[in-house]
Amino acid sequence: MESEENINAEHTTYFGVVEDHSNEVPQDDATGRLSSWEEDGFTVIRANARTAPGCHNNCGVLVYVKDGKVDHIEGDPENPHNQGRLCLRCLALPEMIYHPDRITHPMKRARADRGEDKWERISWDEAWDIIYEEMNKVIDKYGAQSILVTQGTGRDINGYLPLAAYYLGTPNQGMGFLSGEACYAPRFASTSMKIGDFFVCDYSQFFPDRFDDPRWQPPGYILIWGNNPLVANSDGMLGYWVVECMKRGSKLLTVDPKLTWLAGKSEYWFQLRPGTDLALLLGMCNVIVEEELYDAEFCERWTYGFEEFCEHVKQYTPEWAAEVCGVDAEKIKDAARAVAKAPSACMQWGVAVDHATSGYITGMACFDLMALTGNFEKPGSMVSARPCFGVGETWMPGDGLFEKIPQPEWAVGPEKRMNQDYPVLQVGGMKSSDMALKALETGEPYPIKAWWSQTNNAVTNMGAEPQRLIPALKSTDFNVYVDLFMTPTAMAVADIFLPACTYVERAGISGHQPYQIGAIKKAIEPLGESKSDMQIIYELGRRFMGEEGSWWKDPEEFFDYVLRHTPYTYDELKERTWAYPQFEYHKHETGKLRPDKEPGFSSQYGRYNFYCIPMANLGFEAFATYEEPEESPVSTPELAKEYPLILTTGARRWGLFHSEHRQSPSMRQIHKEPLVMIHPETAAEYGIKDGDMVKIENRYGSCIQKAELSTRLRKGVVSADHGWWFPERKDEELFGMMDVNINKLLPMKPGKTGLGNSYKSQLCRVSKA
Amino acid sequence: MTYGLLFDYKWCTGCHSCEIACQQVHHFAPKKVGEQGKRGILPYEIGPYELAEDKYQYEFLPVPTSLCDHCKDRVEKGKLPSCVKHCQTACIEFGEIEELAKKMDSESMALFVVH
Repeated sequence: MESEENINAEHTTYFGVVEDHSNEVPQDDATGRLSSWEEDGFTVIRANARTAPGCHNNCGVLVYVKDGKVDHIEGDPENPHNQGRLCLRCLALPEMIYHPDRITHPMKRARADRGEDKWERISWDEAWDIIYEEMNKVIDKYGAQSILVTQGTGRDINGYLPLAAYYLGTPNQGMGFLSGEACYAPRFASTSMKIGDFFVCDYSQFFPDRFDDPRWQPPGYILIWGNNPLVANSDGMLGYWVVECMKRGSKLLTVDPKLTWLAGKSEYWFQLRPGTDLALLLGMCNVIVEEELYDAEFCERWTYGFEEFCEHVKQYTPEWAAEVCGVDAEKIKDAARAVAKAPSACMQWGVAVDHATSGYITGMACFDLMALTGNFEKPGSMVSARPCFGVGETWMPGDGLFEKIPQPEWAVGPEKRMNQDYPVLQVGGMKSSDMALKALETGEPYPIKAWWSQTNNAVTNMGAEPQRLIPALKSTDFNVYVDLFMTPTAMAVADIFLPACTYVERAGISGHQPYQIGAIKKAIEPLGESKSDMQIIYELGRRFMGEEGSWWKDPEEFFDYVLRHTPYTYDELKERTWAYPQFEYHKHETGKLRPDKEPGFSSQYGRYNFYCIPMANLGFEAFATYEEPEESPVSTPELAKEYPLILTTGARRWGLFHSEHRQSPSMRQIHKEPLVMIHPETAAEYGIKDGDMVKIENRYGSCIQKAELSTRLRKGVVSADHGWWFPERKDEELFGMMDVNINKLLPMKPGKTGLGNSYKSQLCRVSKA
Repeated sequence: MTYGLLFDYKWCTGCHSCEIACQQVHHFAPKKVGEQGKRGILPYEIGPYELAEDKYQYEFLPVPTSLCDHCKDRVEKGKLPSCVKHCQTACIEFGEIEELAKKMDSESMALFVVH
């Protein structure tokens, strides 16, 4: 098949399109829905949870306030998103709001004192004066591209942080030192080139009457792929929805090296070798093709390159896949048949897909399996997920969101964005964290001299090789850090600390999902002088660009601006608390996906691309093609003799959001310290007993965690906790973080596309410490 | 009247919501990192055991303790006990023990008398 050079990814996707929804009628009737009321001496505020502290959801909450203080928080039974249920983090939120360690005033520290507890309280005016002066020095001397603006995954600033970068004039903005930008970006980038839109599993969450809506049907099969949704609740998806679907007949297929609760309840559980997911997907596609179990009508009518794809996957027999993954070939065949024959199926994929050097390609194969079985746009399948009422800031940030704000005169364009080594990142408008670390160390391709870090405890959590990151970040001229608490990252490298507030102290808009928008409501005054992340960003803008670039007189006016394409002002949304936009299925058949209103997906030919022309034009395989992890017993057998175990990191724990919640006494009574899970038989080979302190090491570094022996984990695999530090150990260097930080064993080295990393498939060895 | 909590624990995922919801309502939560708070309810892990090829026992059963007062103050105001209300898979039911007993119609159910 010839590549067609005039077709590239930028012309084939929906993203960044601003649409007007100001006349849209919501699905839900808000008549009688109270916004707040008095109850037993409390003022109850009906609101939506979001951040801070970190979370990927927006559950409906009832905030009980007395004498200006949050007494307790309950789930809101009327909110369709969570139906009254609530997780332990929000239930114990007052511990975080009123924690004595909260930083509630701006602070400064001399550059020479980085790493030492020599902070001095200052006013916001002084903080902005210093930031203005120091950032301008960098802009004048090196250019605005030398400022790096980053975030973690925790708080809802995905859509707002680009504005901070915009004000500072830098094109370098994104995740803070996440190697290979490996949090949704790899699978998002590759699948958007294949289908032109973003798709999620249909758990009835688009309907206000949820599981009772007659239009909805539960998925026949839910493929829990590299995800533990009950604990992770990632990307606006609430894990319990899977359980509600199980109650209504959905079956599960789970792919995980660890027995999770869902794996134990699955029809098929594949306990595969970490990093080989791609082989399993291709093996399942092979079975479906060879046995002609595909959805012939969908493939014929709505896909491109189907016949060539069938030829392509013939090399990937189930026997081959079984060998690669270390699972049973017959089970692959049976599972493929079951998924293909189910009335519907959906892909509940997790970040494990991205945490392999082939993550970008694994994402392609995930969608190939869904396309082959015709599982797009029907009830219980993968459905397109565009921003609610066009509010891109909270779900799908893209160019063109910040209308009416002029470009600062010192702004540097995307051509200087730090991604020169990776064409895929250039197409996706992303900077490379891996290149940014090298630039900090070497000054090439140009120096990074200032860091704006917001909700980004990078050296504890997201960043690989913290042993390189700390000296690299100490080398800059100026670092600003925005957060709730003094974290190891702030202590190590920051010059200015700006205090953010929690979600009960601020206005805002919920999101990070495409089902409903809602109001985040200020239930109490912000503690001390803390401010919302968004207010901090637009005040940065006012300092750099004056009222022309930041004219909002209060947060409510700012959110009116964010809501400008919706039927609501902030106050109107606050009054109804949430609103569900219209939803329908089969949008590719009715012309609802394409700007030209023709039937089809919003890719170039209106079809799902089994053969992905934009990929070919970027110099990569146009079909999903198997790759071993860059380090593995197969690809680096010599190295595997020295480091015979496979390290997987980052599995979620109840109540801890990445590096957060370590201050919460309620969460720490459940999780005292970091644990490394090992199968008892593997542990016995190294003389390790349950509760022993274990040294985990490889050629990059080492750390020590406590052994948790469990038959839940695949033999030969080591699963280590991430994001740990001990806020209570104030006398220890960086709160004891570097002793236990598993990221010291992970390289800042992406897959060949610049996307994907090896956070879940690195080699290591263990010994009793 | 004798009250009970009925657990359809085939759906209990061990999420700790009941445990923390109870601690918050009863002020049992620990005050400092390193302390253990008292519990009115606690999920216990069953397994993991491989029962047969590809069949696993890996479940959780929440058990009310002697500190459970069935959230008397809440119930008197017409509310549900906090653990029942916040359970993420809605697998706990509160009520009069005889009525709850009639609902025990499948395996993996447990009924506890509460104070």
